[in-house]
Amino acid sequence: MTKLVWRQILGHPVRSLLTVGAVFVGVFLLCMLRSVVVALNAGVDAASAARLMVQSSVSLFVSLPISYKERIAGVEGVEAISKWQWFGGFYQDQSNFFAQFAVDPVELFDAYPELEIAPEVKQRFLERRNACIVGEQLFEQFRDEGWEVGKSIPMIGALFPHPSGGAWEFELAGTYRSATGALDNRTMFFQWDFFEKTAEQTECGVFVLKVAPGADVSRIMAEIDTLYENGPQKVRTTTEKEFQRQFVTMIGAVPLFVSWIGGGAVLAILMACVNTMLLAARQQVHDVGILKALGFTDGTAFQLMLAQSLTLCVLGGALGVGFALVTEPVLVTLLGTFFPGYAITPETVGLGLGAALLLGLVAGIAPAMSSARLNPVQALRGT
Amino acid sequence: MLVPLTYNLRSLWVRRASTLLTVLGLGATVAIVSAVLALQQGFQGMFTAGGREDLVVFLRPGATGEGDSIFRRDLGTRLMKTLPEIVVDAQGPRASMECYLAVLARRVDGGETNVPLRGVEPASFRLHGDALRLVEGRNFTPGSDEVIVGKSLSGRLQNAALGDVIVLNTTPFRVVGIFEHAGAFASEIWGDLERFMPTLGRYGPNRILAEVQPGTDVKALSARLEGDKEVPAKAVTEKEYLASQTQVFGGVLIGLGLLLGLIMGTGAIFAATNTMLASVASRTSEIGVLLSLGYRPFPIFLAFQFEALVLGLLGGLVGCLLALPINGIETGAMNWQTFTEFAFAFRVTPTVLVAAVVFSLGLGLIGGAWPAWRAARMKPTEALRQG
Amino acid sequence: MNEAMIRVRGLTKRYQRGGETLTVLDGLELEMQEGGFYALMGPSGSGKTTLLNLIGGLDQADDGELFVAGENLAELDNAGLAHWRAASVGFVFQGFNLIPVLSAFENVELPLKLTPLSRAERRQHAEFALELVGLKERMHHRPKQLSGGQEQRVAIARAIATDPKLILADEPTGDLDRKSADQVLELLGRLNAEFKKTILMVTHDPHAAEAAKSVVHLDKGQLKGIEEKRR
Repeated sequence: MTKLVWRQILGHPVRSLLTVGAVFVGVFLLCMLRSVVVALNAGVDAASAARLMVQSSVSLFVSLPISYKERIAGVEGVEAISKWQWFGGFYQDQSNFFAQFAVDPVELFDAYPELEIAPEVKQRFLERRNACIVGEQLFEQFRDEGWEVGKSIPMIGALFPHPSGGAWEFELAGTYRSATGALDNRTMFFQWDFFEKTAEQTECGVFVLKVAPGADVSRIMAEIDTLYENGPQKVRTTTEKEFQRQFVTMIGAVPLFVSWIGGGAVLAILMACVNTMLLAARQQVHDVGILKALGFTDGTAFQLMLAQSLTLCVLGGALGVGFALVTEPVLVTLLGTFFPGYAITPETVGLGLGAALLLGLVAGIAPAMSSARLNPVQALRGT
Repeated sequence: MLVPLTYNLRSLWVRRASTLLTVLGLGATVAIVSAVLALQQGFQGMFTAGGREDLVVFLRPGATGEGDSIFRRDLGTRLMKTLPEIVVDAQGPRASMECYLAVLARRVDGGETNVPLRGVEPASFRLHGDALRLVEGRNFTPGSDEVIVGKSLSGRLQNAALGDVIVLNTTPFRVVGIFEHAGAFASEIWGDLERFMPTLGRYGPNRILAEVQPGTDVKALSARLEGDKEVPAKAVTEKEYLASQTQVFGGVLIGLGLLLGLIMGTGAIFAATNTMLASVASRTSEIGVLLSLGYRPFPIFLAFQFEALVLGLLGGLVGCLLALPINGIETGAMNWQTFTEFAFAFRVTPTVLVAAVVFSLGLGLIGGAWPAWRAARMKPTEALRQG
Repeated sequence: MNEAMIRVRGLTKRYQRGGETLTVLDGLELEMQEGGFYALMGPSGSGKTTLLNLIGGLDQADDGELFVAGENLAELDNAGLAHWRAASVGFVFQGFNLIPVLSAFENVELPLKLTPLSRAERRQHAEFALELVGLKERMHHRPKQLSGGQEQRVAIARAIATDPKLILADEPTGDLDRKSADQVLELLGRLNAEFKKTILMVTHDPHAAEAAKSVVHLDKGQLKGIEEKRR
């Protein structure tokens, strides 16, 4: 029977190709959309229980006095504390968007063991005052524009203009790679001290804490918040998961929106597949008549039609998933600005193939039933 | 001589299952693309509503928005008082200093969000006039720890109803009024500049808003001010400023719409081509008859192309019908540029509808082109024999 | 051979045509013996093709009894009829009805797939059948690459591939030229004489009827008579 299924499919190459094409397009879109949602949640999913963030309770855009560091460090259970400040600058053009942070370098590596970095790069970063490290994805993107280890990268400070009026110069020590989604591979880190001195900074945006293993996290969080109940700047301490989630919930209805689009796309493709299979069934009426005359059962006719539908849809689905996988690196570069965590996960692959399978089943049911019900005499008569 | 249109229309009716499925598929595609465009239209429309060309926003040179702009207090005052282009009336210069901060807030559904907090002077109300109307309660008293909340926010945020207390850092502020505005201000919380600045630890306003003389060349003004030694600034009209703050998000939405249109459109074209191919294949003998009667190939091509266009038109209409119900549905989104929540509604504008139908017609046209060409190229003898 | 291969008692079949009911077979009574070669003849509308379809289990009668090769066809459901057809009957149609996307060999092999034979055995049977009809060297050709007469011969090979007792042919020479028609008729004759196949052939062509051993005359859905020929 498989031979007959394939021959019928290949016997109408254009129709089969167009159907496979339609499913391919739909499944590819589905995978892409889901990957965007995955990317949005990447930070939340990869959050570590060992890290806490201390920020202003008022706004993301309000900084905390650096002097807070000592008192927070004094809370029992806090193993390491690093100052972080969002730099908010850009390289050459505002459209080149990526994150930059001034950080306490030693504590950065303490708090983020997943930061993979070559020893000589780390050495260079720690030793040179104006050194910076960048994520390997970011380096790949700007390698052709002159970024080179050892050369300096000029950054225009939009939030923190360089006192001379020109650009900040950071010497590139090398690249890093993050083993988890907690950090993306598109960030630039440079030394806090250099930043503090040059910009005469007395504040930092966020304190990133590493807590001792087994410590009572809620107790630590409550204690830190009480330290500054009455000011000058009230703080709020969150787990890394909550910290990341606040960015996701701010995006609001986007995941819902994306699901609707995905659903609509599948529906549209379904219409196309049902249509094709009905057309195929109509065209194969005569052949089904012959088969039944020869003694093939109604069940066989049913299977023949359903098998064609499944084959076309699963083929289209496999191609769609394959294409999504193949284009992943390209899309990571393109969308990296907004969705640094974009990745095709095994679940997405499963979703794509599953959708294709379901499509094949639903689209093939009606034609299969009509084939099963065909009366051989009428089928042979009406060519 | 052209093939009678009724022939094509009737053929679509005869194969109505196939026609229906194709139209529904096209309609779903069009509806989705329209929904994204409606989102963009709603966002853009509401954010920029009410933006005036006679009001100018002054920011620090190099600032991308009021969020990263700041003026020293005294310098700001000097600008307001000495700039000749600013209109002066009996009560003084028609200008105001404003501070701005995106503050953390909790949504009624529990999620977190950022909302714009704007500290204004009494002059701000003079500038906006009737565009800003109090609908509940009263305006805040200058010098007191009171705020008024924009109407779009009052239903969506916790602690934002009349009488509630919002705590900023360590200072409680009471909500004494709810105000309405056609545009972006409806998603903001306003209070006294003099009270917000110390509470938030700021040393100066983020921007200056001023009414300028009619006929002022704002671009020239901006160029002049950027080089100013005393109070360097850049100037844009309020209208332009609002538009610039929607560029990223608006651009992303349009980009999304185009991408979806491209991807789903491709799938829809495949579907339409399939339908038309089957239609042509099942009517080979009819085509043979037409040819033998003396119809030339080109009119046959046009006839089938017309059929495909009708499919496209019907698909577009179905798509519009599917998309219309979302008009007016309220939603909120984060404006990624200002990083603040903005409440708006989907707007299925005439632009969206027209774009939808044109898009769908295009799909039909492209999808039907090849089958129509095949139909036109048939040889009469072959066609009659197959039938 | 006491019991008739085909026993028809009071067979009635009606059709609906645009609101009217047509009675195509009207209480038909008929018996046909194993090993016979019957030509079914009659004016158009006499029900000969309908009778053939009922005997072949392609359709169900409205009334009456029908025993074919020992089986009461009225008692079988769709699946039962299908199985019975696969085992007992081979069809040859006027329009050949080969499946266009399969080669000649594959077409002949099709009915064999319904048997428990292994792949090698199926191949043997199919090749034997094709050799019998003289088309073994063309067995990998598609139907559109064969002439009308060749297609019909492939159809005959398909009809005998599973070695059924009964061969039902509906105007087998209707679409053929004189030479091919004669070839086909000769083949059918051989199948009957050498291989003892029972053959029922619907035809309106008197020349084709000459190949048969008996002629069954139908008119208005009833039997008019059976003519036994001396051959």
